[in-house]
Amino acid sequence: MPIEIPTLNFIALAPPLIVIGTALLVLLFDLAVTDKRVLGYLGLVGVVIAAGVSIAMGPRPATTFQAMAISDGYALFFNLVFLATAGLSILIAIDYLERHDLQRGEYYALLLFSASGMMLMAAATDLIVVFLGLEIMSVALYILAGFNWRQLASAEAAMKYFILGAFASAFFLYGAALTYGATGTTNLNQIGLWLSGGNSDPMALVGLGLLLAGFAFKVAAVPFQWWTPDVYQGAPTSVTAFMSVGAKGAGFAALIRVLRSGFGDSAYSADWALAAAVLAVLTMTFGNLAALPQKDVKRMLGYSSIAHAGYILVGVAAASESGVRGVLFYLLAYAFMNVGAFAVASALERRGEFSTTQRDYAGLSQREPLLAVAMTVFMLSLTGMPPLVGFWGKLFVFRAAVEAGMSWLAIVGVINSAVSAFYYLGVVVQMYMRAPAEYSPRLVGEESDAKKPAAVNLEVAIGTAVLLAMLLTVVLGLWPGPVASLVTMMPLG
Amino acid sequence: MPVDQIVKTVVFVIFTVMTLGGGLGVVVSPRIFHSALFLVLSFAGVVGYYVLLDAGFLAAVQLLIYIGAIAILILFAIMLSRGLMAERQSQSNQQWWIAALVALLIFVVLAAVLWRVDWPVASQQALASPSNAISQEGSQLGRDLLGPYVIPFEVASVLLLVALIGAVILARETES
Amino acid sequence: MIIQSIWLAIAFPLAGLLFNGLLGRRLGRGVVGIVGPGTVALAFVVGLFAGLDLLALPAQDRAIVVTLWNWISVGSFRAGMSLLADPLSVLMVLVVTGVGFLIHVYSIGYMEHEEDRLYARFFTFLNLFIVSMLILVLADNYLLMYVGWELVGVCSYLLIGFWFRRGDDPQDPVRLKDGELVPVPANLNPADSGKKAFIVNRVGDFGFALGVFLIWTTFGTLNFADVFGAAPEIASGTVTVITLLLFVGAVGKSAQLPLYVWLPDAMAGPTPVSALIHAATMVTAGVYMVARSHALYALAPTTSLVVALVGVITALYAATIALVQTDLKRVLAYSTISQLGYMFLAVGVGAYASGMFHLTTHAFFKALLFLAAGSVMHALGDVIDIRRMGGLRQKMPRTYWTFVIGALALAGFPLTSGFFSKDEILAKAFEFSPILWALGLLTALLTGFYTFRALFVAFWGSARDQELFDHAHESPGVMTWPLILLAGLALFGGILGLPQILGVDHALAGWLHPAFADLEGEGAEAIHHGLSAGLEWGLLGLSSVIALLGIGLAYWFYVANPGWPADLAVRFKSVFKLLVNKYYVDDLYDLLFVDPGKALARFCAQGIDNAAIDGIIDGGARLIVQGGAWLGRLQTGFIRHYALAMFLGVIVVVAYFFLR
Repeated sequence: MPIEIPTLNFIALAPPLIVIGTALLVLLFDLAVTDKRVLGYLGLVGVVIAAGVSIAMGPRPATTFQAMAISDGYALFFNLVFLATAGLSILIAIDYLERHDLQRGEYYALLLFSASGMMLMAAATDLIVVFLGLEIMSVALYILAGFNWRQLASAEAAMKYFILGAFASAFFLYGAALTYGATGTTNLNQIGLWLSGGNSDPMALVGLGLLLAGFAFKVAAVPFQWWTPDVYQGAPTSVTAFMSVGAKGAGFAALIRVLRSGFGDSAYSADWALAAAVLAVLTMTFGNLAALPQKDVKRMLGYSSIAHAGYILVGVAAASESGVRGVLFYLLAYAFMNVGAFAVASALERRGEFSTTQRDYAGLSQREPLLAVAMTVFMLSLTGMPPLVGFWGKLFVFRAAVEAGMSWLAIVGVINSAVSAFYYLGVVVQMYMRAPAEYSPRLVGEESDAKKPAAVNLEVAIGTAVLLAMLLTVVLGLWPGPVASLVTMMPLG
Repeated sequence: MPVDQIVKTVVFVIFTVMTLGGGLGVVVSPRIFHSALFLVLSFAGVVGYYVLLDAGFLAAVQLLIYIGAIAILILFAIMLSRGLMAERQSQSNQQWWIAALVALLIFVVLAAVLWRVDWPVASQQALASPSNAISQEGSQLGRDLLGPYVIPFEVASVLLLVALIGAVILARETES
Repeated sequence: MIIQSIWLAIAFPLAGLLFNGLLGRRLGRGVVGIVGPGTVALAFVVGLFAGLDLLALPAQDRAIVVTLWNWISVGSFRAGMSLLADPLSVLMVLVVTGVGFLIHVYSIGYMEHEEDRLYARFFTFLNLFIVSMLILVLADNYLLMYVGWELVGVCSYLLIGFWFRRGDDPQDPVRLKDGELVPVPANLNPADSGKKAFIVNRVGDFGFALGVFLIWTTFGTLNFADVFGAAPEIASGTVTVITLLLFVGAVGKSAQLPLYVWLPDAMAGPTPVSALIHAATMVTAGVYMVARSHALYALAPTTSLVVALVGVITALYAATIALVQTDLKRVLAYSTISQLGYMFLAVGVGAYASGMFHLTTHAFFKALLFLAAGSVMHALGDVIDIRRMGGLRQKMPRTYWTFVIGALALAGFPLTSGFFSKDEILAKAFEFSPILWALGLLTALLTGFYTFRALFVAFWGSARDQELFDHAHESPGVMTWPLILLAGLALFGGILGLPQILGVDHALAGWLHPAFADLEGEGAEAIHHGLSAGLEWGLLGLSSVIALLGIGLAYWFYVANPGWPADLAVRFKSVFKLLVNKYYVDDLYDLLFVDPGKALARFCAQGIDNAAIDGIIDGGARLIVQGGAWLGRLQTGFIRHYALAMFLGVIVVVAYFFLR
């Protein structure tokens, strides 16, 4: 029997492969290196190389990998979102883990594996690969969420995330199975061909519903959002920063490709667009309302990330090219402003504590003006204040909704943005209009230096992350042109 | 009704009782070890379905992986954790009826779907064709795994590696 | 070529502004005092080199557009962040940064008694003022110009109200010879003055904005070159409306009738700010805008006539008020309004280069006069009432002599800079209409009189307030050296534009010629206007005589026969009261606009906003926060509840897709 060696187009998957390779290298060096921070920088190098390769591949025509994955502009753009998130999160982690005595090589390896899973999800054109990417991302995140094993909250977060995530994976698989049953294939384009031009098939529709539920969990959309605040609060802040953007972005990346390639036919798109619109309204409203009374900033950002999932769903509900572009822009914007906000939060955490309350921000403008300015920029950008980058993201998705004849959805979105100003600006008020809270030692064994406000741990790497994120939030806000045109040049292949 | 049809029906009922009864046993049995054994029973019922459907390869895979590997793994895990082995605990609390209601709702929805869907029926010829033979299935599977499905195949190994690292971390944490 | 980097002229003061604004407080006044003036000096150098670059180009190519980035691009609406460097804008850059630099240096001394915090804030605002003005003059489209236009307004608000804690400054009443006391209106407090400047400017800006909108709907672009290129094809009625609307903006910004009222009160700010507003920035913006838009104004003769009339009437009107003011800075303020009237007269009769020439010389001598007045205030502990001064020339010789030079230039004393520029405008006005010329000449007479009245009362004679006089001292070098430099400019600045009949080239008109080349009969070769040489010599002589006459009258009234003014005031008591009260225009505006406006605002704030809207909003907000707390309670923390909710969600989603 002759052995056929199939031609494999590895170039198509170069960026995730580079990240996986870097992760393996990190594991290897973990055995030899004593200063684990080196591994963080090693991971950073891999991330930068992968981003460079993604950019270099941008102008080339899309190539496919055995009909399983594709390197179209869409996937490459998402690579940039994930790699930016991963890079900033690694910068945060390098100092954060050191401070909390959690520094271990596996952390960086898992983070890189998780990022590669996200990139696979964005590139996948087959439900099997989507699922595998999803699981790589999720399993790594489960472990990372519980990485702070000395804290009960962290273990609890990991447990919740794992169990509920397993349910979500089951929904997804069930949906994939029903879709396979209806169409006889797991390839998204084949599914699209099979489903086009006829009446809608109830089995495919139910499959679609279950797939939607599975993704809705990953992006933290109502009613699958319950895990979000608990997990965001419990997980180490550097992990929260990573997964708040990464998991959400990957969920949307795969969701949009599945919807548009597989279920893009008009017999289906009207249904899922309406479903997405309803989910968007519920998600935005729930996230913003529940964020209002929060005192813990990480938890507040957790609810706010639910709200942002709602805004992005507005772009999905538009079911149009411009909607997709809006989502792409939004997610890149979200990567900088949200990771930036978590970076500030992690810089404010004291040794041995893993959350920051609003009181910790009181008078920050006097203690650390730079951090206060940065946090203000992030908060305003998350609110959607022009001329920061968050404003353009919202503008693009809302505009897509209006163009798609869903003005009501855009109006709900704008009202929600107004509500969100309440809790975002609350932090700004604390930083600029309140006197610093007096520091009372809460840990046994800590020197009782009771009169001084808590010291701020602004180390080099975290500082770099904050500065980079702030710079990009401001610059891309003042000058959104390049990214806006990049987004239009990055079609779904 | 011809005889083989009757036999098939009887056998089907037996497998159904195995599958459903096993599932029920998993849920209600007070000892987790027994739950795991019930799970084996349930898996075995599914093997029977595959045999009935002439899907020999699937039956073999189900037997090898689900009963031979997964169920055994679960049993090992239970036996290694001493606390779980000895403990008897009720699997229900005062909210069990809510769970049952939700399960029932899911069942209703899915049943409705199954009812309404126009299931494609393969021709007798396709079922009888030799490509369905186990040996053919096997070699085709191998070809597919290294051909079109090489990426899922390889990526699955990454997934396993991640899971492995995770397990190691969890194990080390409990030590330290 | 540095002209391609003309944005540096904005970037340097901007950097200084950021530096002083963010770090100035911590680094202390030494650093602030170097960074503030230093960055403006760098901008001046950039402007200088840009000017040299322009000279190196062939005349028809002397307009460089530097596009920095595409600012807004929505639909067909495009506005570039792009700058235009041509002779006109570069001249403005040089005036703004040159005079601005000297004022900056002067401020180091003038503001020395302020605390560090305020000192840094002052220089920050000062730099912002320069930046705003540079954006205004370097813009290559109306939108960016409007940005600068508004920023200038903001800066004036910030700086006029710099001492916002100070109250109204009551003025001593005038005691007439017959014993009657004529109350003098109090000087408005800085905070209110700032508001007044901003709000009055907003009235003009509104017209300007409407003009810009109309340009957009008419031309489909806001770019200068495109608008001016397309202007001849547009209906003349539309162009007239556009130019009138733009002129409304100029009336506000350049303090012409009827929107001049903010400028006298702008004295409430620190004196260097007054100098900056009056000489280099802000008020010149209107004149510049009209000169920049000359292609439109040339097509709208009606508007041009309106401009010229408003200009000349304002010139005369403000000059009459200046006759009786007792506050030295107020005299100067009304003289500025009057001189701006001349400039509008010039651009109104189509003599754009002459208007720019007077703008330039006026910047020199008005900055000089204000800074000298500031030097007096500095010496006397902020006393500015000329009735309490007297004999200061012995105490402050440098200030005195520089003030004399500034006053001579303002009065149009022969061969000073003001003489040449004013005469040029009068000659052009004569050519246009002898009536305008006559009004201008009358104003010139009054100018000479009131300027030297202030000079004689303040510096000559004997001390009227001995205590103040003893306290007086000459200002430090950091203040007097800018005075001396400006005095040189005020004295010799006329070289820029000597009349053709003297047989030399009109340098400034030649420089500006490329910018106005599209106009017939404008520029160096056309400076020899339609007047005969004899007539021109005659006009020149008459101007000299009038200036000397005004000065002489002042001498006669206030030095030779000091009793006369008092007699006159009694004899023409009603006229005197009218002038002291500035024709009661401020009171009229208060009655017509300010009081009704305040009443309406009070009703909206207390009646509508507090009671109705706040009630609804507060209630709504409470409701929302309540809802949030309620939702938060759903978050029990138990996995089983979450899982249950998820399963219910799946059931709903699947049921939707199945049943829809």
